[in-house]
Formats: sequence, structure tokens, C-alpha cells
Amino acid sequence: MPAPSLIRNFSIIAHIDHGKSTLADQFLLQTGTITRRDFRDQLLDDMDLERERGITIQMHPVTIYHKHTDGQTYELNLIDTPGHVDFSYEVSRSLAACEGAILLVDAFQGVQAQTVANAFLALENNLAIVPVLNKIDIATARPDAVMAEMETALGIKPEQCLRASGKTGLGVPDVLGAIIERIPAPPGDPIAPLKALIYNCHFDTYKGVVVYIRVMEGSVKLGSKIKLMRGNQEFSVIEIGQFRPGMVPCQELTTGQVGYFTAQIKIIQDVHIGDTVTDLVNPATTPLPGYKEPQPMVYSGLFPTDNEDFEDLREALGKLRLNDSSFTFIPEVSDGLGFGFRCGFLGMLHREIIGQRLERDCDLDLVHTAPNVTYQILKTDGTVIVVNSPADVPDGGQVDEFREPIVRISFLVPSKHIGDIMSLAAERRGEYIRTEYLSPERAIIVYDLPLADMIFDMYDKLKSFTHGYGTMDYELKEFRPADLVRLDVLVHHNRVDALSVIVHRSQADRRGRSLIAKLRKEIGRHMFEVALQAAIGSRVIARETIAAKKKDVTAKCYGGDITRKRKLWAKQAAGKKRMKQVGQVEIPQEAFLAVLQSDD
Amino acid sequence: MIELSEMKEPAPVNSIFIGGGTPTYLPPLILKRLLQAINEWLPLGSAGEFSVEATPESVSDETIDVLADHGVNRVSLGVQSFQKESLVQLDRIHGPQHVIPALERVRRRIANVSLDLIFGVPDQSLADWERDLENAISLAPEHISTYGLTYEKGTPMWKRREKGLIMAVPEEAELDMYLASIDRLSNSDYQQYEISNFAKRDRRCRHNEVYWANDAYFGFGVGAARYVQGKRELNCRNTADYIKRIMDGREATTQSEALNAEDSARETLAIQLRRTDGIDRLQFLERTGFAYDGLVKSRPNVLLAEQLIADDGRRVSLTRRGYCVADAIVSKLAFG
Repeated sequence: MPAPSLIRNFSIIAHIDHGKSTLADQFLLQTGTITRRDFRDQLLDDMDLERERGITIQMHPVTIYHKHTDGQTYELNLIDTPGHVDFSYEVSRSLAACEGAILLVDAFQGVQAQTVANAFLALENNLAIVPVLNKIDIATARPDAVMAEMETALGIKPEQCLRASGKTGLGVPDVLGAIIERIPAPPGDPIAPLKALIYNCHFDTYKGVVVYIRVMEGSVKLGSKIKLMRGNQEFSVIEIGQFRPGMVPCQELTTGQVGYFTAQIKIIQDVHIGDTVTDLVNPATTPLPGYKEPQPMVYSGLFPTDNEDFEDLREALGKLRLNDSSFTFIPEVSDGLGFGFRCGFLGMLHREIIGQRLERDCDLDLVHTAPNVTYQILKTDGTVIVVNSPADVPDGGQVDEFREPIVRISFLVPSKHIGDIMSLAAERRGEYIRTEYLSPERAIIVYDLPLADMIFDMYDKLKSFTHGYGTMDYELKEFRPADLVRLDVLVHHNRVDALSVIVHRSQADRRGRSLIAKLRKEIGRHMFEVALQAAIGSRVIARETIAAKKKDVTAKCYGGDITRKRKLWAKQAAGKKRMKQVGQVEIPQEAFLAVLQSDD
Repeated sequence: MIELSEMKEPAPVNSIFIGGGTPTYLPPLILKRLLQAINEWLPLGSAGEFSVEATPESVSDETIDVLADHGVNRVSLGVQSFQKESLVQLDRIHGPQHVIPALERVRRRIANVSLDLIFGVPDQSLADWERDLENAISLAPEHISTYGLTYEKGTPMWKRREKGLIMAVPEEAELDMYLASIDRLSNSDYQQYEISNFAKRDRRCRHNEVYWANDAYFGFGVGAARYVQGKRELNCRNTADYIKRIMDGREATTQSEALNAEDSARETLAIQLRRTDGIDRLQFLERTGFAYDGLVKSRPNVLLAEQLIADDGRRVSLTRRGYCVADAIVSKLAFG
């Protein structure tokens, strides 16, 4: 067992694409944790989707050993963090298990919104920061300018910055050295009662729940009787080990170490992220502070196109939740769409990824309803209700105050795009807070604006306005009263609850018109005229008509035509199964997405 | 003929139809041999119908004599149009001037004649089509078929449309033409009995009625379809390949499928519904073993409400508006 003085625990915080996974790969290679033969790119991103999209969602820990210039061999535990704005909750989880963080900044792209956000998060957690300029080998690198930005934005002195290249491995030994020298050894008393922080877990079909821990005090051994403090559940440790990077069993994890254990825990819900593991016989008196529960920011309905798939969908959602406790789902019944689930996500990317996993891995055809945020409604009877679905908004007469979530959003953009971003934010009911210049070329602009106006396409808009150079970060600020209404859509005089949206009254007419116009394009012609209406309560604010199909007849149907026609009809019928039948009208999935698109 | 002779024994039939291609192009001697073989292997019942397709320019006295001498008692004449422009568009060899002489030649020996007409030809107007209908009616054939033009993939017309050399008539105009056919013909002794077919009293094409009742039939030749003992089969469509198979003593069949009882019932529903007689609940149940109402569930409700189908409690049939969207109705009712 290494003494705590020979252990260092750290994360890497970086903006997406700044080369975090590549640098981590270099650590593994240069410390001999993995041989070049077994090496593959971005080793720690092991989900297919992550590899495909080049993003890290789940944290992947790894333990490496490094012989330092002082002659000692140190145990370094890297706890990786996700880079996308949607997953800042996961970042905070990683940081709480570490004493330090590498702040990785691309030597060309410079400081980005999330770099700032995550760096502050690390500082709030009292972590030692090791600033590293990455991609120093590329021709367009501008290290001096980027270091100036880091000083302005984060107060980091240029002389503290290390230079490295994850691609070539240049400077990596210096970074390893700095981890040992600048990040403090883990505190904690090795002979005190066990206190280990659960910072993650995953479900393994054979072993049950694999619990990821950071030992804060004491030690945990193979066969130890332990207790999870929050639920007061008792278990025996069946296997204990470290990630190197695969799961390698050992006998004991002691103060400061990072690893995993299994204890035949069958139900993942029994394990709470942020909980404290202690010794059954000699328990700690107080648990570790733990984490806040993640709050879903975005909700949307998921309905199987074929109602018979409902139970399959439930099972698939349950499986996904085994390894991603940050999304929620509860059954929901829609008049139009039948049985489905209302799911809560950390953000739009998270929603998209879960949706893709369900469709790809579980082979389910799904209708995703338009996303919405959580609202609070003060009813006239004085009660406050929380609304996650437009369908749950009570009738106008019962609503005293409609409150929506406001986020504080920071844009980090090239100065020449400040105007574009300001008009975008104004359009989205944003309230200007301040502008800070990192350099004459780049600035941070801060707005408070409704989450609902941010989630749909703010990120895409920012990227397109700034040609990819702008970044953003946000945090939930408060709920604020607003003049909101539920905009309903009637298809052939039936309200389709899954198409309802909550909008600001001032935007209702415009949204209503554009929504109906889009639906008109998506819904095919029927054998009868189909009326489309947008309404607030009983007041219709927009209408369109889809003309009836006038002619659809095959002239000839003789011997040889019969088989061909039957196959065609059967195929058409199968095609209709992928649509949702609402009343007599068949609505394709695209129509439900139409609600999502922006107005232009 | 070889394919015919491979039947183990002659099969008496009630109707025969030679068509799909133009049998009257055959030299009289060969046509004669074909008809002899048919008569040998498929003896026609005493009141049977024996139809042959012909084009106006291919009808000679000699050919008609051969047909009549071998029991052919009905000719379906592919007139398509009485207007030169439309015939040119349709790549037809004959001109309007060929139609009346051909009809006279046929009638000299064979009394029962049907005319095929096509509407929706590029550049054709409603007035053009109405003139075609009037012309056909004035010739008093026993039967008239009116087909909306379809652009079959790979045909010269299809290619011309793809290249933008011709434009399909607008849907509304084509619909007007179709409705004009129903109105004009119904007002002149012709009774509609299927989407595209009209006949004088007792002059429905019996062979067609076999198809549309979804009853059994044989089929011989290139690309021929047959429906025997619940099995649908299709011969290969390529002539050279067909000949090679036959000469090698192999089967010409390239596709074969036996539908299960329910699929077969749905197919029968789909096909029968194209008839003006529609579906007779009792006959349908006897024929397929499935009740109409059980197969269609509640799907007819909207169609009834929209007056696209009619239901008198015993029979379900398409309405005038229903004919225009027959495919959509059939697809919905039969397949969901």
C-alpha cells in the first residue's frame, strides 16, 4: 500500500476538443500503464457514441504509476471529466474526489466558456490547478496570447503554465512531474474509521453493481463488512481493485486511493452517488458531505410508435438508467400518443444521446416530443405545482402566476461577434448583465435568460454566428414569473397534447402560425380534408387546411398486378405503423420534431 | 405451347384471354398452332368466353378468320385514342384512320368487341377526352375500358417524362377525365363494373371477373401470372431467359408464394373492392373463411363518414368519390 504522501489524485478539466482524452492517452503510454501494442485512440472513451462524437460523457478513472525525479514511485489516479456543457454536474462529481486538476487549454483556440466555468468549479472545491497549454506543436499555436487570456480570465500567471502536446507526447513528463509537485498529497488518517466517497458506479451483469470509490480515511479490505451510510445497508466486499485501466483486483484500498469494489449489490438504486462507505464494525460517525442530486433541466416525452413496445421501452430505459442516474423517467399517457414516458435530461445533448441509444441499441421506434423545461405554477388556490409537461398546465382560470427557470449564461466570443450575440440574446428575452474583455479580440458576455429560450438551438446559433469560435456555459439561477401560455395544436379538431408547447404570450401568435405551417408540410394528404389549428384555450390563433387527396387509383389490376399491388399496400400499411394515429389522422414522427425547429 | 403441353392433362376452363403483347402480330400459321394447342390443353366450356387482344393496325381478315375458326369469341381492341396527337405521344403505330376498318373486320366474324382507351395523355384536354369517349360510344362496342395513363419505369414515355420532354397532366385534370368517363358511359348504356371497366348489359368481361373475384386462373408465357390452388406464381419476364428455360425443360416460374388464409382474405378484400359489386359479406365469409367486419375493424367508419364507401348492411362498395382514391381506401381497409 502506498503511503498517502505517494498518492496524487487529479482530474483534467478542459473544453470539448481541447485534447483531454489524447493527453490522458499519453499518460498511459509514457508511464507504461499500457503498451503501444494494446493502445487505441482515446482509450478512456469506451462507449461507441463517445468515440464517434469525440466527446466524453461518463467518467473513466485510471490508476498509473510514475517514477519521479526524486526516485520515488507515485500512484497517480486520474478521474476523467466530461467536456460538454450539459454535463457540468458530472464534472463536479469528479472534482470532489481529487486534490488537483490539470486545466488544459488549446494553445490555438484559447480560453473557452467551459474552461472558465470548470476552472472556477475547481477553485471552489479548493483544488490545486496545473495549467497546461496543449497542442503546442501545431503551427497556429499562439501560446503567449492564450496565456494572457488565462491571466485575465482566471488569474493564472504565465510562468505557471506548462506546454505540452498530447499528440506527440512533448512536455508530458513535465506535466506528470507537476502533478506530483504541485498537487497536494491526499489528507486523511489511514487508521481512522473508513470513510470512502462513492463518486460513480456501473452495473455489471456478472458482478452486480461496481461501486467507484475514493477512500478519504481509513481503509477497506477484501472481505470487509461495510455499510452504505445513507440507506444503512450492509454488504461484504467480494472484490476490490483499481482501474489500470481495466479492473484489476487487489487486497486493500487505503486512504487517498481510488478504485472500485463489488459486494453483490443487485439493485443499482441501492447505491447513491455521493454516499459514504464506512466500516460495519467500526463506523465513522458523520458521513462525507456528498453531492446534490442532479436536476434534469429538459423534459420530453418518449413514446413507442407502436404501443405494444411500451414494456420494451420501460425495460430499455431501466437498463440505461443503470449507468446514468442523471436522467429520470416516469410513465405518461398522452391522448394522442398513448402510453409513453416523460423523461428528464441534463440538457439537449444528453436527450439526444439517450434517444439514440434507445433507438440504436434497443431497436425501438420512438416519437420524441418537443423538449420543455420545468415550470412552477402558483394556482389561484395558493398552491404551487411543478409542471414538467405542457399537458399538465391547468386551465387559464386556475393559474395565478406562471414561473419559468432563468439561467445565467456566459458567452465567450470573438469581439466582432458581440453584436450578433447581443441581438440573439435580446430576441430570446435575455437580460443583459455584463461584458468582460479577455483581450481586445475576445470577450465574455453574460445574460440572464429563460432556459426555455436557450435549450432549443442557442448552442447551434452561437456556433453558426461565430463560425465555431464562440462557446457558452450556463447555470440555473432562479424561477421568475412570466406571461406564459400553453399553445395547443388541434389536428382535425382533436387536441394533440404531445404537440402543445408553453410559450411567452408575446410570441404565441408567431409560434402558432409557424408551427401550423410546419405541420402542414409534414402531415400527408388524407382521403379527407384535415384542419390544423393552433389555439390558446378556446381562442384559435392560426389555422391551415391540408386538402384531401383527390386521386389515388391504379387503373389496371389484372393477374400479374395483384401480387405487386398487395405488396405495395402491405408496405404502405407498414409505413403507417411508424406514424402515430391521432383520431383519423396519421402523423409522422417528423411532425413532432417540427415543434422543435426554430422559426426561420 | 411447350409450357402448355407440360400440363399433365387437359384442364377445362370457362374463359381464356390471350393478351399482354399483341397476339395478332403472329403470322396466321403460327397463331393457328398456338390456338390449336390452347384448345387441346384448355378446352373451353360451351358458354365460355375466349378473348384475344388486338391492335387496330394488326387486324387482317385472315387473322380474324383464324381467331374465329378456333373459337375466339371476343376481341379487345387497343384503340387508346381517336386523336393523332395522343397516339403519337403513346408511341402507337396506328392512326385514327385504322380504327373503324379494324372494327369492321373484327365484327365480320366476332360480335363481341371491347375498346381500350387511355386518358391523361400529355397535352390532352378534357374536351379531347370527351371526344374520344363520344367516338367510342358511337361505335357501340359491347365493352369499354378506360385507363388513366401510368408511366411504367423504363418505358420510352417514362424516360421522356424524366428528361422533362413531356409533362404529366395535372392531377385535377386527370380526375375530371376519369369522372367524365364514368358520367358519359353510364349515360349511354354502359354500366361500370370495375374501376376502369364498363360494359353493356351481360357483356362484362368474364375473364376479368375471375381476377377481381380473386378466383383461380392459369397463366402461360413470358411474365405470365397464375393463381392455382392458392399459390401465386409468376413466370420470368425476360423473353430470352424464358425460351432458354423452356428449351432446357426447366420451369418458367421464377416467383411463387402461397399466402396464409388471412393474407389471402385481405388480398381478396382488396381486389374485390375494386368492383362496383364490392364485397358481399356472406360470399366473402364463405369464400375466405374470414368475416369482413373482423378484418377491417373500425377502419371503415371514417370512410363511411366521408362517403368514400357505401354499406347497405350486406354489401360494401366504393362510391363515385371513392373510386378516385381507391388505392388509398383499399390499402387502409384491407391492410390498416
